[in-house]
Amino acid sequence: MTDLLQVTNITAGYGDGPAILDGAHLTVEPGKVHCIIGPNGAGKSTLLKSICGMLSIRKGDVIFKGERLNGLRPDQILRKGICFVPQERALFPKMTVRENLRMGGFTLDDSKELDRRVGEIMERFPILRERADQFAGTMSGGQQQTLAMARTLIIKPDIIMLDEPSLGLAPKIVQEMFDIMKMISDEGVTVLLVEQNALMGLRNSDYGVVLDLGRTLFEGPAPEVLADPRIQELYLGGKKAA
Amino acid sequence: MTATHLQTTSASAVVEARRAHNLKLARKSDQSRATWFPLVLLAVLTALPLLQFTGNYNYLLHLVLFTASYAAMASGWNILGGFTGYVSLGHAVFFGIGGYVSGMILARYGVSSLITAPLAGLIAAIIGYGVGLITLKVRGPSFIISSIALLMIARILFDNWGFIGGANGLTLPTNSLSAEWSKLPYYYAMLVIAAVSVWASYRIKHSKFGLGLRAIAKDEIKAESAGINTRFYKVLAFALSAFFVGMAGAVWGEYLTYLRPNIFLLIGVSANLVLMSILGGKGTIAGPVIGAILIVALNEIFVALLGASEINILGTGVVMILVLMFFPLGIVGTLAKSGRLPRLLNWD
Amino acid sequence: MAEIIQILILGLALGGVIALMGSGLSLVFGVMHIVNLAHPALIVAGAYVTFLGFRYLGIDPILMMIPSAIVMAVVGVVIYKLIFEKEARSAKYSEMTVLLTFALAMSVEGLLGVLFTNTHRVTSPAYATDAFFIGNVFIPKGQLYAGVISLTLIAGVALFLKYSRLGYAIRATTQNREAAELLGVNVNRISIISFALGLALAGAAGSLVSFVFSFFPAKHWEWIPMLMSVVVLGGMGSILGTVVGALVLSVIAAFVGTWIGATWSTMTFFLALFVILLVRPQGLFGEKPEMS
Repeated sequence: MTDLLQVTNITAGYGDGPAILDGAHLTVEPGKVHCIIGPNGAGKSTLLKSICGMLSIRKGDVIFKGERLNGLRPDQILRKGICFVPQERALFPKMTVRENLRMGGFTLDDSKELDRRVGEIMERFPILRERADQFAGTMSGGQQQTLAMARTLIIKPDIIMLDEPSLGLAPKIVQEMFDIMKMISDEGVTVLLVEQNALMGLRNSDYGVVLDLGRTLFEGPAPEVLADPRIQELYLGGKKAA
Repeated sequence: MTATHLQTTSASAVVEARRAHNLKLARKSDQSRATWFPLVLLAVLTALPLLQFTGNYNYLLHLVLFTASYAAMASGWNILGGFTGYVSLGHAVFFGIGGYVSGMILARYGVSSLITAPLAGLIAAIIGYGVGLITLKVRGPSFIISSIALLMIARILFDNWGFIGGANGLTLPTNSLSAEWSKLPYYYAMLVIAAVSVWASYRIKHSKFGLGLRAIAKDEIKAESAGINTRFYKVLAFALSAFFVGMAGAVWGEYLTYLRPNIFLLIGVSANLVLMSILGGKGTIAGPVIGAILIVALNEIFVALLGASEINILGTGVVMILVLMFFPLGIVGTLAKSGRLPRLLNWD
Repeated sequence: MAEIIQILILGLALGGVIALMGSGLSLVFGVMHIVNLAHPALIVAGAYVTFLGFRYLGIDPILMMIPSAIVMAVVGVVIYKLIFEKEARSAKYSEMTVLLTFALAMSVEGLLGVLFTNTHRVTSPAYATDAFFIGNVFIPKGQLYAGVISLTLIAGVALFLKYSRLGYAIRATTQNREAAELLGVNVNRISIISFALGLALAGAAGSLVSFVFSFFPAKHWEWIPMLMSVVVLGGMGSILGTVVGALVLSVIAAFVGTWIGATWSTMTFFLALFVILLVRPQGLFGEKPEMS
């Protein structure tokens, strides 16, 4: 089986600044949930940003379905089938929920089809239908994150990259976000997740990737990552597996 | 014990070496700074009117006077715009205030602006202080626009104030000197004002106050948390810059022999100050002077070659676009950055 | 009472024109975070384009809105490519661009001066000197037409922004540039389009201005603080806000002009700007532009 996305030894950073990523690699298998963990400043968000074209890659390659993505703009990469939901609500606060959903299908040319899909999403997420004509900025954090994640389903990309969807949310709501992620995954969409809460992220994933100091330290099935004593000690808060 | 001792000796050796190095650096920077050059320049310009004995050099004297007035004003502007980083496009207001204060005193009481210029500067500074209290609350685009609004407000007020002649302005008495010497009092006065402005901006830059201003330009929030009273510093910088612009305006009015809002309260005057400072090197001492010389020369070329003052506006605009896009550090700044600043231009 | 209605109508009509003048400025700021000080100078340029069409081809100034808008849109693309595209990538974006637009305003003024001299001009279609009378209230046709057309045009732009796909992209880019890009919007293209659209509005406004005010190359300086006050009062980047700001200030200015003196009516706008400064120390433009 060929890999969907292959990141090989990339170096990247902001502007002329130092390289945040230095030799990171990643293999993404279709249909699975991959969770990237690592301490603050390890380069997790930077990795997602380099894949989606927000940062230019200085060295190394991003290969998607056999095609090199280096140097493409974010809007071009989206059209290839990789969708990125950045940290801290990627919404348009002064557009209504419905308009935000429609923006999710900006790349669709058929407006009828777009309406149909927006309706479909609102069926599945009743809260969004309830708030359809309300400004997105007036909703609660959890609702906003729901909108940001649900919006990606309009175009059903091959890969969805989520940057800390649980950030700043109450623990009870965090589980809801993972449920939505599961729902996305069940649609056959490959998920690439960056999660600060490593334990929770890994338990909801098929594969785990450990990133530190800008390079990939470990890639493997999530249970193996969870069970590895060194990873437990350094990255999972030192908890012994029960 | 021996180890510790060894360390102490080596430490003191390091300190010694560092001290020697610093001395060398200081000497080097003393050598590379040409504070004598402005003095020589000043001496040459002071002697320049002797040419009048050999022929009519009135136009040359006029050009020097004109350049000196801009050098004074641009150096003044630089205290706010260059050191502090607040770009004002409204400084023509203080040029006008200076001109009108001294001009009105001359018209009513017959006291020459040569005597009242400091007073005119002071009044400009006081008004600048008041304006600064309001407009310096904001920075960046907001401040720039507030400064344009200030100029427009002043223009309406001056145009409609009958006491100072309204839009028609006032004619001032001329002095009784013969044509070849009549410029001289203003020539020397402007030279003195320019020299004082440059010297003052040098002193300010190297004072604790100037350090505070430069800290504000770099990062105002950090400057404030470092204990600098940023609000007072900024407003004082505004007042000081208005002072020098006002003094130049005072002498300029009497030299022109008339006052009119559409000559003094001109956005083009403000634009020139900005352009001169940036072209020469914003925040440097020599920059505004070099900028003044170049822009006055450029204006002369535009007008001489092409005739119309509209061409001058177009030329100034285009030069400004080019400088901002390709030369934002200016002559002094760019040369200094690449370490090729000739000593003659290093007055800092 | 008739006097008050009279002043109100004149103020609203003029306010409509001022709203159109400000709407392009607001749009460009919203999308690109550029405070375009050259916008008013480009409105004057639009007025001159109209003047040419009116004088030499006998085209009605209102019809001239279309060619004027097209010309200014093209000018907008050229200016964007020459100046702002490079600038948009530099770090000191906001500070430098304001000065750049100032220099651009001077260049436009100088160029217009060279081409057309400093003579005051005005286009004089028949309706510019005609008026309706309703009882004691007289309504100058020129100002009424200009005001109504302006507001209609702004409504059209608002509908376009609200419902068209391009409008979605423009609004989305205004609100969250990064998110828009991640949803497939080519934000650089949106910037060019918005800039061109903003200047097209300037061109159209110039046509209406040509018979409402007399104009000359340096006229734009007083429009800078005037439009800024309107746009800032309405919340920079919001076109609806710009309309409200324009109507409110222009009605106040009309009362000031009638009851205190004509010269003081423009002062209303300038003083409003200072009042806003006093009550909003965080700056005229609200939150800081997003980081690039």
